[in-house]
Amino acid sequence: MAVLNRTDWYDVARTTNWTPKYVTEDELFPPELSGSFDIPMEKWEAYDEPYKQTYPEYVKVQREKDAGVYSVKAALERSKMFENADPGWQSVLKLHFGAIPRGEYAASTAEARMMRFSKAPGMRNMATLGSMDEIRHAQLQLYFPHEHVSKDRQFDWAHKAFDTNEWAAIASRHFFDDIMMARDAISVGIMLTFGFETGFTNMQFLGLAADAAEAGDFTFSSLISSIQTDESRHAQIGGPTLQILIENGRKEEAQKKVDIAFWRAWRLFSVLTGPIMDYYTPLEHRKQSFKEFMQEWIVEQFERSILDLGLDKPWYWDIFLEQLDQQHHGMHLGVWYWRPTVWWNPTAGVTPEERDWLEEKYPGWNDTWGHCWDVIIDNLVEGRTELTLPETLPIVCNMCNLPVNYTPGNGWNVQDYSLEYNGRLYHFGSEPDRWIFEQEPERYAGHMTLVDRFLAGLVQPMDLGGALAYMDLAPGESGDDAHGYSWVEVYKQLRMKKAS
Amino acid sequence: MALFPLISNFEGDFVLQLVPVDTENTMDEVAAAAAHHSVGRRVKPRPGHVIRVRKQGSEELIPRTAKISEAGIKPMECLEFVWEAPKH
Repeated sequence: MAVLNRTDWYDVARTTNWTPKYVTEDELFPPELSGSFDIPMEKWEAYDEPYKQTYPEYVKVQREKDAGVYSVKAALERSKMFENADPGWQSVLKLHFGAIPRGEYAASTAEARMMRFSKAPGMRNMATLGSMDEIRHAQLQLYFPHEHVSKDRQFDWAHKAFDTNEWAAIASRHFFDDIMMARDAISVGIMLTFGFETGFTNMQFLGLAADAAEAGDFTFSSLISSIQTDESRHAQIGGPTLQILIENGRKEEAQKKVDIAFWRAWRLFSVLTGPIMDYYTPLEHRKQSFKEFMQEWIVEQFERSILDLGLDKPWYWDIFLEQLDQQHHGMHLGVWYWRPTVWWNPTAGVTPEERDWLEEKYPGWNDTWGHCWDVIIDNLVEGRTELTLPETLPIVCNMCNLPVNYTPGNGWNVQDYSLEYNGRLYHFGSEPDRWIFEQEPERYAGHMTLVDRFLAGLVQPMDLGGALAYMDLAPGESGDDAHGYSWVEVYKQLRMKKAS
Repeated sequence: MALFPLISNFEGDFVLQLVPVDTENTMDEVAAAAAHHSVGRRVKPRPGHVIRVRKQGSEELIPRTAKISEAGIKPMECLEFVWEAPKH
């Protein structure tokens, strides 16, 4: 018997919106989980997924992908690539593995919500595959760092980070809980797969895979490439979801969800990806600056995606473009200065050559960010390391949970975006962060930042030691300068040359 | 006398910081407490200058001898600490 082509039967087979006889539609698809937006059932059936794949096809392709990525790992296990890698690159791996895999595992639940509760049959099928994708990503990214745990216990944070109150982990959880764990199926489709994955991770994984190959880390490169191929499929869940909302008069709500998710994703990117590209990646391996990458791969692509769908650019677009020049420099400086509070060893990335590069890519860097680093470098040259370590907490934003910071030096432009709500004073790092809070204050009002917890007496004793214990950072895990301050030598020599 | 948490936004620095002071501290004492976490760490000292305090968004400097309890400052309010050049 001849086998039909997939195109001849796919639409019929996945159109599974049967009419329930024993329960109501709302019982079958509870609105708080489904997110019906008062759009009738038959309208959801118009959902046309751009990427059509059946379960047998999925299993075949995924098996091949797994075989590929595990064989590269096995083949290179004795290559000593990791041992010989620049400490900056090792930090990239630690940061990535701590920040990502447990979030991927949580994302499988978010995909599962779309799989079960979306009223769009095509979305349910795509999310079924998406949920399995995310489990695969979690497993891969927990397994790959495991071989390094015996060499360096900071790699233990691949599994541990999300269970701690470390500040970056709190920021990640707050973001992912907001866009994917505590939203209905349709909102997850928009906020996770469109706002976060289409907007950021799909492209970022392409860049990261290229950076890894450039750094000679072919194991990590093949891992990230393999994951990216899944991302590029399931990230397409959101587009048709938005189309249905727009066609049925729900553009305003759709726009708001996109605006919230994109901004929140940007803030997380400014701390995770910006420093990696502009400071951690060794100078000789840098292909483009973070700003150039963002402009080429994120800004242009995302603008095209939203305009094609009939949405508008987010209201804060000019603020976002302005932040591309500044925000990640502050996140980097903050992470380096408060380095004992992270599970990786931040690279300073400010040798004279690196500063020249920063000045070229970000004109004015030396006159602003460079002023802060000048003082830090002077202290290190003079042996005053204690002055390069924190004695208090930075204020963190009540939305993104990241330090409130902006341009220092001669361009000093730091501001607290505050808001009093129900007698409590909240602090935000930007106007859009405050705007997100104002859209649904009760959703966010009860959350306590690390600073709120400190002031409430939850961190004891109230000093750095107490904060590290609260964040579960044990000795050997707590971060320090990635290169053991060896980069300061060049400044000492310059100083001696000047004096002689 | 009571512990009073403030937010420091120090001229030339890049980040807002938590600074614990006392309700009986004067603005000069508050400025010194804020400076401890910025000057010589990420902000170059400016010999001869005085660090003055103002509320965020205000140009008006709070008198140097005014106490926290007298200046109408709320706990966890963000204060700006700015350099004042020496008067000749």
